[in-house]
Amino acid sequence: MLALLLQGAVALTAVASPEGTWRAVLDLAGGPLPFALQIGRPAGGGGWFGQLCNGEKCQAFSKVGVEGNSVTLEIADYAATMTAKLRGDSLAGSYRNVGSNGPRTIPFRAARGRPPVTPAPRNLVGRWDATFFQDLGTSPRVFEFRDGPYGIQGTLISSTSDYGPFSGTASADSFAIGYFDGSFVYLITGKMKGDTLRGIFHAGLRTQTPWQAVRSSGAPHLKAPTEITFADTSQPFRFRFPDLQGRVIGSDDPRFKGKVVLVDIFGTWCPTCHEGTPELIRLYNRYRGRGLEIVGLAFEVSGDSAVDGPLVRRYRDKFRIPFPLLLAGSSDVEAIEGALPQLRGAGAFPTIVFLGRDGRVRRVHAGFHGLAAGAQHQRQVREFEVEIEKLLAENSVNSKR
Amino acid sequence: MLSFYRAFVMVFVLFAGRVSDLGAQSREDVARERGDYLSWLETATNSPLAAVARQPLGAGVRLGPPDADIPLRDVAEHTIEMRGGALLLKTPSGRQPVSRGRPVKVGGYTLYLAASARGPVVTVFGKPSEKKPPGYYEYDPAVVFIGPLLPAKNPQRLRVLAADGVEVEATEAGSIVISLGALTRLRVMRIPSAGGEESELEIFFRDESNSQGTYPAGRFVSLIPLPDGQYRLDFNRARNPFCAYSAVYPCPAPWRGNSISAPVRAGERYAGGGLQAPPVLEVK
Repeated sequence: MLALLLQGAVALTAVASPEGTWRAVLDLAGGPLPFALQIGRPAGGGGWFGQLCNGEKCQAFSKVGVEGNSVTLEIADYAATMTAKLRGDSLAGSYRNVGSNGPRTIPFRAARGRPPVTPAPRNLVGRWDATFFQDLGTSPRVFEFRDGPYGIQGTLISSTSDYGPFSGTASADSFAIGYFDGSFVYLITGKMKGDTLRGIFHAGLRTQTPWQAVRSSGAPHLKAPTEITFADTSQPFRFRFPDLQGRVIGSDDPRFKGKVVLVDIFGTWCPTCHEGTPELIRLYNRYRGRGLEIVGLAFEVSGDSAVDGPLVRRYRDKFRIPFPLLLAGSSDVEAIEGALPQLRGAGAFPTIVFLGRDGRVRRVHAGFHGLAAGAQHQRQVREFEVEIEKLLAENSVNSKR
Repeated sequence: MLSFYRAFVMVFVLFAGRVSDLGAQSREDVARERGDYLSWLETATNSPLAAVARQPLGAGVRLGPPDADIPLRDVAEHTIEMRGGALLLKTPSGRQPVSRGRPVKVGGYTLYLAASARGPVVTVFGKPSEKKPPGYYEYDPAVVFIGPLLPAKNPQRLRVLAADGVEVEATEAGSIVISLGALTRLRVMRIPSAGGEESELEIFFRDESNSQGTYPAGRFVSLIPLPDGQYRLDFNRARNPFCAYSAVYPCPAPWRGNSISAPVRAGERYAGGGLQAPPVLEVK
């Protein structure tokens, strides 16, 4: 009897712990958005930790709290919290963040175990030209589907960026793949009929946009990233902002004189910028000796250097960024155009401005297609290299600033 | 011709929900949403119950002294203005940049700047208010409707006041037809949410309960898409515009045609404006 009681006690203790891997969903109005949760505790005891994952891409929670059967998962960067009650082998609760109009709440539930791995149907794999049907017209997008270690994976690409790495489930003729990073809430559901895909793009709890897609012919379907933001090329490009030590650095600084310069307009809050920064570092290391300079202009949420300074410093240290980062202001479109009046239509993060050795703008590339964008990413990398090679080859003797 | 019209409308009319999935689950969802919203109303620094002043930024806004645009007790002169595209707060000790949607402390007050279609708007919030939220009618499954959204023939982009009194660029999403009192066509607008990709399908409607327990100017209710392409209109989710909580917010003008010729005693109540305060229901 005593043995049975002890066994029962052990079993109860095990069930009451949220430790382990969970297959989770956010219950959107149009269907479940799948992702994975991992919750753990150091072997020797101590505080809980955890992360949320979309396929192989995971990000840590800033804080994990467990009290009785209540579990709290915090995502400080987005002022978001997931709270749930643990009942047996299930978690049920909600994801919540707060805006100016009240709470944004989405039901959340999870069951123990790894998300199912379902391979992408062979006839779905590849690149598709999609058309989104919105109230006032249509808008182009591109889907890329592949079969990865987590089953069907893919991404959605707009003219300026990708929406992140999606993963999910598929059957012979339908699929549902999602991306949830604590702030972005995206789900793509679709069905294949003949050579056409049709479905819904879900954003947040209730926004649904119907779409239709056909297999890509290879012809350009999206607006080129160089046709979104335009610049005054009649004069050298000017900027002047404090660096992380408070020294004001301008476009006339000797380190930029006669060099090819990439001006990276970024924000630490912008996930796409996190994807783009390693590529910029690679380009810097490859071409610096031949006359390339890069400068990052941080447009942050607060625009207050006391708040933004530590965020940008942490970003620099995280990526080991070897080029200067300047605190350029707040991330409102009006603020960017006020700080850089030679740009028109700025608003995509990141935006990379290519300057020739004479300091004039030669190219403005809005957005960045991350690794999830596959071929689009590779093409973009090649375009950057070709552009830099071309600018480096320009005669520096004739350059004036 | 008239009978043809009636037949046409009947095909697209939303039917009152008696389907099993509209029962317990919907009631639970509504209870949870109400609980979250009430908690926000009662505790948030930017709760509309705590709003004390609001003004478009225009050329700049002075706050503090008795002759300021917004007089604030025990607050020295502060000015908010737009300079070179950046929002700046001028305080007695210097200048500091401020951002939309972020709290700014000024004495015992908190300021928020919101983006609107006509430029930034400053709202000043005091201490958490002693005002109580007006509460809700008990959940009524008879005012839940399911049906299609009829697309607008020539959808337009229109500037409307959202529930929070901010002017936004909305688009006509279409209309729905319900049978409540009489057949009524309700106009549906897509109102953008912060973040770009997200929006809400909103209906600003009036009904026979206005001034008789609900807010006189009308209420908002969201149209919820369902997985099968249909939509759910649940008047238990009807909620007040922010002008019902504080007179600092402008009230949206009623949307043309969105009047229901029956009382909708569901969703959020109204306890102000000299009306008899109805009993507040506990949210479970």
